Amino acid sequence: MVNYIIRRLLMVPLLLFGVTVLIFLMLQVLSPVERSALYVRDIPRNERVLEGIIKRYGLDQPVHIQYWKWLMGTIDPQTGDRQGGILRGEFGYSRTASQPVAEMLARRFPASLELALLAVIPVIAGGILLGVVGAVNHNKPLDQFVRIFGIVGWSFPDFVFGLLLLMLFYANLGWFPPGRISDWANQIVQSPEFHNYTQLITIDSLLNLRFDIFWDALRHLIMPVITLAYLWWALTLRVTRSSMLETLRQDYITTARAKGLSERTVIRRHALPNGLMPVITLGGNTVVGLLSGVVIVETVYNYPGIGSAAADAAVNLDVITVLAFVLLNGFILVMANLIVDILYAYIDPRVRLD
Amino acid sequence: MAVGIDLGKPTSQHLLEVRDLTTRFYTEDGVVHAVNGISYTLDEGETLGVVGESGCGKSVHALSMMRLIPIPPGKIEKGEVIFKGRDLLKLSEEEMRHIRGAEIAMIFQDPMTSLNPVLTIGFQITESLQLHQGMDKAQSRERALELLDMVGIPEAALRLDDYPHQFSGGMRQRAMIAMGLSCNPSILIADEPTTALDVTIQAQIVDLVKRLQDKLGMTVIWITHDLGVVAGMADRVNVMYAGSIIETGPVKYIYGDPHHPYTLGLLGSLPNPEGSMGVRLYSIPGEPPDLVGMPKGCPFAPRCTFKVERCLHEMPMLEEIEPGHLAACWEKDRVRRV
Repeated sequence: MVNYIIRRLLMVPLLLFGVTVLIFLMLQVLSPVERSALYVRDIPRNERVLEGIIKRYGLDQPVHIQYWKWLMGTIDPQTGDRQGGILRGEFGYSRTASQPVAEMLARRFPASLELALLAVIPVIAGGILLGVVGAVNHNKPLDQFVRIFGIVGWSFPDFVFGLLLLMLFYANLGWFPPGRISDWANQIVQSPEFHNYTQLITIDSLLNLRFDIFWDALRHLIMPVITLAYLWWALTLRVTRSSMLETLRQDYITTARAKGLSERTVIRRHALPNGLMPVITLGGNTVVGLLSGVVIVETVYNYPGIGSAAADAAVNLDVITVLAFVLLNGFILVMANLIVDILYAYIDPRVRLD
Repeated sequence: MAVGIDLGKPTSQHLLEVRDLTTRFYTEDGVVHAVNGISYTLDEGETLGVVGESGCGKSVHALSMMRLIPIPPGKIEKGEVIFKGRDLLKLSEEEMRHIRGAEIAMIFQDPMTSLNPVLTIGFQITESLQLHQGMDKAQSRERALELLDMVGIPEAALRLDDYPHQFSGGMRQRAMIAMGLSCNPSILIADEPTTALDVTIQAQIVDLVKRLQDKLGMTVIWITHDLGVVAGMADRVNVMYAGSIIETGPVKYIYGDPHHPYTLGLLGSLPNPEGSMGVRLYSIPGEPPDLVGMPKGCPFAPRCTFKVERCLHEMPMLEEIEPGHLAACWEKDRVRRV
């Protein structure tokens, strides 16, 4: 197991290298003038000043040198300061957010993280639980319900589903407002008495014992979380159900039953670890899906996360910001797959002992 | 050793008595008549061979006794399975669980698929011991070690924490047998345990079970399509066709003096090492019947070379030929081994 993890960890730098190369190549499609946004706030209109900037930051140099500078930053010949460099956390200046990309991400990422984390709960708990329930009660009414739930979720586009929820629960009923937090609560959260331990409002409000703020944040989160989760919830459920049905037909399940084990033990101990393998594989895809899902969901609900920032940037052709978003997604994806592979090995000895 | 079928007894003195066991599967294609009213008895220490082609209901009959057929689509329509005086089909699920694995154990055809790939061999053996014998971890591990040693797995102590994929096919079947024997069951049902194995390994497994049976004195139901294996180890044989027992008797009668054309055909299709070279192996013409639309008369009639008009309309019942030897054929007196 340890060997396996070490081998798998050694892959990570390679993968990340691949991700950066891909994104760097996308950057190279832009003209040097546009790429100067990596280093300067405003792209000057004056030709001569522009030339100077391109020279100063080496935007006309060979590709491999530019790649290195893009990673590590470049030293300003006049001031001697190191500028830019994604490994130093500098992704350039975001025109749409009117601030450096890194600052924008830092400010907005917790909101998206909160959304995604809350969405993962129904996906995993609901999806797996309902899938197992459906498989165990194969072809009974409960299973039919689970199947319909899964088919509806899987075939409902999230932007339609989100708008429907918004219409019903905000426009008509006024229960759940869009946005992340109400103004009154926001004032308290921004005030010095309120400690922001995690930047996740639901958790911070509980830690500050402000249950009114917790409730306010929850009201804002419910609709986006449901919209974001439903598709992956449904997919997880469908994969779990069919995989469990398949597993329950295996000979070793008959062996387990022939031993006299209770049906509960047979399912929990003998069927689940085998039945969940495809679900774990799906876990990596779910992370990708949630990342792209936040773009739509945050836009629909006017939720201030990185997804809506990326959507803004895309609409305004702010490529620097978009590529920073892509880079972040790539990084998260590599990490998610690392976790998936390790989980896989943990459950299946055939993977870990190869 | 008492052999034969005496259904008249109100309470069974036999270890196991199966009466009129009938299992059907209600599928979309129709009702599959998998097991059609089979009856037999089994005494302590006896070895019963159940022989027949694929799909003749021999495995389903065993799974029905253990109440392990999937319900739905399967259903045990009627019958009794009296084991030590109790009808297994009337027990609660909870009571039945104390029979499975503890009193009646089962090993399966394919050791590649019948062991759980994600659990260690040791865990899969100790699991039954902890469940039925109330042993703790250390005790059950020690016993598992003994068992693996007994079934001939070298360096058992080192192999206990191995996973099934680290075992060869023959070793897995040995491990399955160890699992089956772990709680000293009264009956071991072996459902084609050698079919998926190499010929040399087959012989080893047969020898192993025979040796263990002598040592532990258990009763064995050996389900197979291999008449050769049964000849060597069984006391008595049930020949099954299309969900029914069509001939039953002590092994020497079945092999020496078969009275059902199907049994005759099966024996005729065995290769004979002393037979003359160049003689074609006999094969029974036709296919086994579709168990959904069963013919009205004798199910074997369409393939039978002995058939008469009556066979197409009337289903023959098992009738005695000599004590303990019964066959279900209208023309059984004409059927003789040449």
